[in-house]
Amino acid sequence: MAIDLKAVEQLATDQSSLKAAAGLAKPAKWSGVGGSQDGALIWGECAGSGANPYRVMADLRDLGNKCTCPSRKFPCKHVLGLLWLNAESIVPFAPAETPAWVSDWLGRRRGTSAAKPASAAAPAGEKDLRTARIAEPEAAEDPKDAARREAQAAKRNEETERAILDALDALEQWIGDQLRLGLSGFIDDATARCRRIAARLVDGKAAVLAGRIDELPARLLALAAGDRPRGAVVELGKLVLLARAFRATPRDAEIRRAVATSETRETVLADPQAPRVNGHWEVLAEQVQTRRDGLVSQTTWLLNLTAHGPRFAMLLDFFPASAGRRGSVFTPGERFRAELVFYPSQQPLRALLVRRDAADETLTDEWPAPDGPISDALTRPLLAEPWTIDIPLLLPRGRIARDDAGHAWWRAADDTATLPIAGSVEGLLAGTEVMGAAAIWSGNRLTILAAQTPWGRIAGHD
Amino acid sequence: MTEIIESNVIKPEAIFDAMGAVVTRWTMGATAASAASFWRAELGDDPVEAELRLLALSSQFLGATVMTEPPSALRVLPDIPALALPIVPETLRPLVRRILAAGKDAASKAELVDFLAARGWTTHPADWMPDASDEDAPDVYAAWRDWAAFAAAGELTPRQTGDQLTPENWDDFWPAARKAALIGLRRRDPSAARALLEAKFGSENADARLRLLSLLSDRLSGDDVSFLESLAANDRAPKVKALATSMLARLGHGPAAGDDIAELAGFFSVKTKGLLRRSRVVHIETPKTPAQWQRRKALLDGTDLTSFAGALGLAPQDLIGAWDWNVDPAADAGLIKLISETGTDAQLAQAAAIISEHDATGLIVALAPRLAPAERTRFAAAGLRAHGIGFEMAQLIAGPAARLDDPMSAPAGTKLLAELRRDDAKPSDYAAELHALGLLAAQTAARQALQRLTGAGLLQGDPRLDMLRLNAALDDKGEKP
Repeated sequence: MAIDLKAVEQLATDQSSLKAAAGLAKPAKWSGVGGSQDGALIWGECAGSGANPYRVMADLRDLGNKCTCPSRKFPCKHVLGLLWLNAESIVPFAPAETPAWVSDWLGRRRGTSAAKPASAAAPAGEKDLRTARIAEPEAAEDPKDAARREAQAAKRNEETERAILDALDALEQWIGDQLRLGLSGFIDDATARCRRIAARLVDGKAAVLAGRIDELPARLLALAAGDRPRGAVVELGKLVLLARAFRATPRDAEIRRAVATSETRETVLADPQAPRVNGHWEVLAEQVQTRRDGLVSQTTWLLNLTAHGPRFAMLLDFFPASAGRRGSVFTPGERFRAELVFYPSQQPLRALLVRRDAADETLTDEWPAPDGPISDALTRPLLAEPWTIDIPLLLPRGRIARDDAGHAWWRAADDTATLPIAGSVEGLLAGTEVMGAAAIWSGNRLTILAAQTPWGRIAGHD
Repeated sequence: MTEIIESNVIKPEAIFDAMGAVVTRWTMGATAASAASFWRAELGDDPVEAELRLLALSSQFLGATVMTEPPSALRVLPDIPALALPIVPETLRPLVRRILAAGKDAASKAELVDFLAARGWTTHPADWMPDASDEDAPDVYAAWRDWAAFAAAGELTPRQTGDQLTPENWDDFWPAARKAALIGLRRRDPSAARALLEAKFGSENADARLRLLSLLSDRLSGDDVSFLESLAANDRAPKVKALATSMLARLGHGPAAGDDIAELAGFFSVKTKGLLRRSRVVHIETPKTPAQWQRRKALLDGTDLTSFAGALGLAPQDLIGAWDWNVDPAADAGLIKLISETGTDAQLAQAAAIISEHDATGLIVALAPRLAPAERTRFAAAGLRAHGIGFEMAQLIAGPAARLDDPMSAPAGTKLLAELRRDDAKPSDYAAELHALGLLAAQTAARQALQRLTGAGLLQGDPRLDMLRLNAALDDKGEKP
């Protein structure tokens, strides 16, 4: 089934979509491109501005389409880009088994006229393919302008830094107040108090720290009542450490990432210090969480199956909850070869997907063994970043046990450790030997992401 | 912090001992620096700053070294046992998961699980496991049901499994394993199963008695009459009494007809028709008021086939033969219910054959659970071929063990293809019909159906074809009826 470029032009809502699509109609932007045997469906993954790629799919029979990006334009530039790739045969669309995510979309589609050409619905100005193709030449810049711009940027940076430092002063003041007022009162009223200081931090450009403090009450309430004073000391103390670290090195990208904002994708990709790792990766799990600040965080945990590079990678994206539910990008258990670039850090974890090959079932590597004793794995990351909350680790052979109250524990087979589990464990995971597991140690509790068992690889718990 | 500990300036035990006091003071709102005098130099002289520094240090110490202490009594659940049938091949598990996820209710999940068991397979326990109380789960899952019961009950030692059930080891079995063993025993030695039940019946509660008694439906015979009579007369639970009574009726031992039966007979009359070959017809009088409709239904619900036939002066088989079908659907349904609950196997077969001819195929659904799998398949195929029923109805008649050879050539298949080819066909049309087709087709038929449907324009990846694709790809290792 073939489409021509005219159809892409008609489908686009406006000239800027078409222009953006022209920029995406390049092989380097895409991975996992394929089409169904009958030629009706095409799909691919397109690198967007986030860490996770977008899944893009289209039905060539009626040009119905879907993309997992949060854009409000329909169709978005990624869909147009995919159709463009197809219309001009820029990359081969190898016939393949329709992936489950494309079938799922197909099952949810309503009606046949899902995609009416935009021109029929609302004429949005003239659209023109030829203009869209023309790459605009970089305007030659006056050296004076450049210098002025740089000076402005430096000034802005300074102002931001000043604002953050002021906000951190307010934070320390607030922490001191919580101690003076008593942590028992803080624990009872944590949500409201944290909201207030978080709002102050947002004003002070410390947005990441604000998000962290907004989530603090939830982490505290997850603990047993008797353990909350200790939990509060740990949480508040980490904030002091982070504030002090920022004061000492306000330009340090890693600390800035924990306080203010993260670098953009382009900055990380252009950074020669950012480690690039070509490896075999297994998708451990995807965690989607709606945060109190109205953002949804989408975290994909990857396990590095090769011997070199960081053991884990975390692909983290945020999008507004109002953008609606977003489809998963990966299937847990899926394995692929890919190049990842890590945000520069003493212990690289957060990463971006640079390029990836289609899922590869020939990657049969065993899970690596844990890197050391479990007590080390739980605490080593704290030496470099004492404010860290989530510590991913591999667990050795062990088993789930339960106490009299029904709470779950993970117990090592050699009895060297017994760790409390966050949430409950039901079904298979509670009734089998666990030969190895990937987990996150967070707030003194363990969340199992995936496990190797005599029944094969199984998912973790809720 | 770590350096401080490692340089032996301060022993971790000393810090640990002080932490209790520090946290307590902060909890109450008091200053805590004085409780950690060993850090005097690190904390400095400014009292406000000292509290923040102590907070940072305590946070490190408590976060890195203090773990929640596990309670001494931790219980480990036993391994989930392997089942007697193999797990579906790894390559088909994603398809199984998708079908399970698409089925909104327990009933549609049960359909798939029954289908898999009939074809000789089970689910992977990570994809689906029955609850302890899931009485409808195929017997092959008994060990998993008991595992779930065990997990919920908090006992420490697993109980017995196997098929050597005796009065002595009765209590060593969990309910699902016991049920499976009892079903096995009933098939091998019906009398022994009944004797075992007689010995243990009184010690079970009413719900359990009801479930156990229903197991005697299989291989029901005259040998069971005295046990059933004692239950019908003496059991404490009305539900058990009613079931025993209806099972007795199936054996031709109906209770003495009461006064009501004459009132019920008043709603019907037996007439003759034809001049040469005079035959009898049961004429159904139309009730005149809603109250009369209600009354007739209540009376039908409260009787049995033999008594009802007797009140009309007919033998049960004559009543079934002379019934005027398709005139009064409510009366038809009432009679079918009587037959399925209190009729003998022969009467049931007679009724099924008659209604199959009378284009009242829907009524067979009510009789189907008591028909043998081969019979069910036959009636489903006949319904598809001769009476134009859809695949959903056919699947209800045929049950989980169905393996229809060529369902697509029936009118339902032709109609489906025509509808799917229509220009205004929507992507979600006929999902239930296609799913039912996937459940009732034999493996080869499923493959052929896939070809014809994709030939008609459905995409290979269309999720409506999931059940057909699973059927086509799954080797049929089940016992054929």
